[in-house]
Amino acid sequence: MDEQRDTQKGKYVTFKSGNEYFGLKIQYVNEIIVFQEITSIPESEDYLKGLINLRGKIIPVIDVRLRFKQEPFEYNDRTCIIVINVKDTVVGLIVEKIAEVVEIQEENILPSPSIGHADKTQNQYVYGIGKVGDTVKLLLDPDKLIKDEDISVAEQAEENKQEEEGVEES
Amino acid sequence: MAEEFSTEGMLDMYLFENQQLLEQLQEIVLEQKDADCFDEDSINEIFRTMHTIKGSSGVMMFDEITAVSHKLEDVFYYLRESHPKDVPHLELVDHVLKVSDFIMNEMEKLGNGEAADGDAGDMINDLDKFLNSLKESNGEKKEIKENVHQEPKQFYIAPMATSASHFYKIYITFYPETELANVHAYKVIYALKEIAEDLLYTPEDIISDEGTAQVILDEGFKLLLQSQSNEEEIRKLIGIGYDIKAVDVYECTAKEFQQGFDIIGSGTKIDLESSVEEIEAKAQEKAGQAGEEPKKKEMAPGDFVIQSKEPGKAKKLAKDKPKKQEKAAFISVDVSKMDMLMDLIGELVISESVVLQNPDLKVPGLKLDNFNKAAAQMAKISTDLQNVIMSMRMVPLTNTFQKMNRIVFDVSRKLGKDIEFEMIGETTEVDKNIIEHISDPLMHLVRNAVDHGIETKEEREASGKKERGKVTLSAKTESGKVWIGVQDNGKGLDREKILAKAKKQGLLEDGKPESAYTDKEVYQFITLPGFSTNEKVTEYSGRGVGMDVVVSNLQAVGGTLEIESTPGQGSLMNLKIPLTLAIIDGIVMEVGTSSFVIETGAVKEFVSVRESMMNQKPNGDEFVMIRGECYPVLRLGEWYHLPEYQRNVEDGMMLILEIEGKTICLFVDKLVGKQEIVVKPIPSYVKKVKGLSGCTQLGDGSIALIIDPAGLIE
Repeated sequence: MDEQRDTQKGKYVTFKSGNEYFGLKIQYVNEIIVFQEITSIPESEDYLKGLINLRGKIIPVIDVRLRFKQEPFEYNDRTCIIVINVKDTVVGLIVEKIAEVVEIQEENILPSPSIGHADKTQNQYVYGIGKVGDTVKLLLDPDKLIKDEDISVAEQAEENKQEEEGVEES
Repeated sequence: MAEEFSTEGMLDMYLFENQQLLEQLQEIVLEQKDADCFDEDSINEIFRTMHTIKGSSGVMMFDEITAVSHKLEDVFYYLRESHPKDVPHLELVDHVLKVSDFIMNEMEKLGNGEAADGDAGDMINDLDKFLNSLKESNGEKKEIKENVHQEPKQFYIAPMATSASHFYKIYITFYPETELANVHAYKVIYALKEIAEDLLYTPEDIISDEGTAQVILDEGFKLLLQSQSNEEEIRKLIGIGYDIKAVDVYECTAKEFQQGFDIIGSGTKIDLESSVEEIEAKAQEKAGQAGEEPKKKEMAPGDFVIQSKEPGKAKKLAKDKPKKQEKAAFISVDVSKMDMLMDLIGELVISESVVLQNPDLKVPGLKLDNFNKAAAQMAKISTDLQNVIMSMRMVPLTNTFQKMNRIVFDVSRKLGKDIEFEMIGETTEVDKNIIEHISDPLMHLVRNAVDHGIETKEEREASGKKERGKVTLSAKTESGKVWIGVQDNGKGLDREKILAKAKKQGLLEDGKPESAYTDKEVYQFITLPGFSTNEKVTEYSGRGVGMDVVVSNLQAVGGTLEIESTPGQGSLMNLKIPLTLAIIDGIVMEVGTSSFVIETGAVKEFVSVRESMMNQKPNGDEFVMIRGECYPVLRLGEWYHLPEYQRNVEDGMMLILEIEGKTICLFVDKLVGKQEIVVKPIPSYVKKVKGLSGCTQLGDGSIALIIDPAGLIE
């Protein structure tokens, strides 16, 4: 078990979405499958593309580009689904193109810079920036990626409010 | 290591057995809680149960359990021996339940691997006090022997039945050359069983112990019989044949009879200790074998006794009592294995449809006669298989209902209300998973009925209600669903109060007058979170968290709640729950590129309609006239804002759905077919969509969404 963790340590599955490359810690990734037919769910968020049948298991899939509020793209034969498992929630991520598995050392990871509010939606899911040679990969926090945005916004608002109240009291 | 292992096995056994005993105990107690006192049978049963628990707990060295069960045993010993006239029955019931709760609780701890560290000291003191007051109030002067074990010899004494009973001592001598004399003796016992009110014989274990054959030959076979028959009849039943040399029948007095074989001579002494164990053991045996015979072992006279027997109806023996029959031969199976089996069968059903609807078969010109025959055979077997696994998962509601009985009893006592509890159809069977989900909702509803529904005694008198407060729990299966009703004859729901509260909470629609709300709509308000009209929060209800939990729990298993109420006469909460969740018969249909499935049971008929039959209200609602009836129309594509769907009614298909007494027409593009579908939940990650209850995999591997008709109607 420990050995396995060791071999997985510092390894990231990288994929391309829009113009950037993103990285996901490999221990979250169950498997990568080719794109397959999706059954859409009515009345759901646009990035939630629907359900797929993964060998008898039915799992929801998310379009990462739509999740990042980027322009939608045509699915083609290079489109892949990364099946991730975050705290027992299994979700598929539709990505344009799988790049490679890279190793990024701890010292090459910088905290995500917060420059203004320009790129807020995307920033929210990125916890760090990994340097690989000359390129950089945006490292994703899968927990936040699959979490319902509305809820977290609401929670945040709630938290802020409490903080404010706390200030008043003190 | 080995030792450790064996204790563990013992603990499991201990927990399992005592659990069952306690459940039986509760059942008995609750059954008779409304009576004035326990009948003799129950007293004996409770006594024996406590005795057994005491014994086994002693072996396992759970001292507190041993002590408390010993105390309760003492109380029942007193009841059994002294027949006190004046017993505060409810208090007694309370004590028994408390003790059984305590032991249950301790056992739960043990089951979780914790130590049984509960302190029963208070309870023991209470029981002591209770026993003492009992003795005092019944004018008991002489000291009752504290410890039951020291009683030298005790039969379960037969009630001295009707005066027409006679007591006989019978000696039977067999010819010395008789082989297997014990079997011949058994034949006699069997013959006499017909007329016996009570029967005792020696040697006892004639069936199991072949050695007794010699004893019978040497010493004769001795019987004690209590019966209404006369000597002639007895002789006739025994009969003198090639085996029996002589039969001597002496009539004796009841007193002699009770003294048993001591008087006759060499009979074995039957002490209380062993007879209790024997009877327990026998009770277990009875489980397996119906129509059993008086088997081996010692027969204490009480074993065979039937109370309040009418003359001439001597046939029924105590062991035929119906409540014993519940203990059929069961094995316990790990639920996760059952779930696995269920899943596998689900997969089998899917792969069956993959095979049978394989596109390769659709090639024109194929001769498939033999294939189709084989396929039909296979489909039949897989359906049978499903039915069997379903029935394995089915559990009667008895236990759940019994729990409710307990709740009614507890709550009503605490609130000082006099409430009768009635169960109807408690043997109705439901999928185990569903039972787990409805237990809590039922509890809420029953509590509500007792707390809010039924008025206090004073209120009832004031409103001129003569009958007792009553809560009825009923269950039945109808059209593939289980209906569970919780009914009370209390004050009913107060429409005005609910409306006022709804108004205060801003739940009423703007511009809709209060009078426009139907009763049903008004009652639905109480299922909303935070809604309670009770001014006072009591221990049991009134916080307004009950009903919405009930509804959401029910929805989780695809159930619904209907509320009916008549002011002054009570309310009825009707729970409708699907029998099973796993595999349903469904109709597959298409809208645009999406597939949907609807449960076959909900569809009344399919109709093709013409444009001329459609009507539209000014607000856009559509109606269709079919054979003079007017139905609202719901276009599935429109409802879910699908990208493409058939707009022309003449090219699509109307499904007439009937749900909860309402009828609507569902418009879809086309029907695909009917098939058995394995219901899978929509992953919890996806937010709940109105009108969808799950999803399934179709024969071609694609996914279809399952429509929940009740969700559409809302």
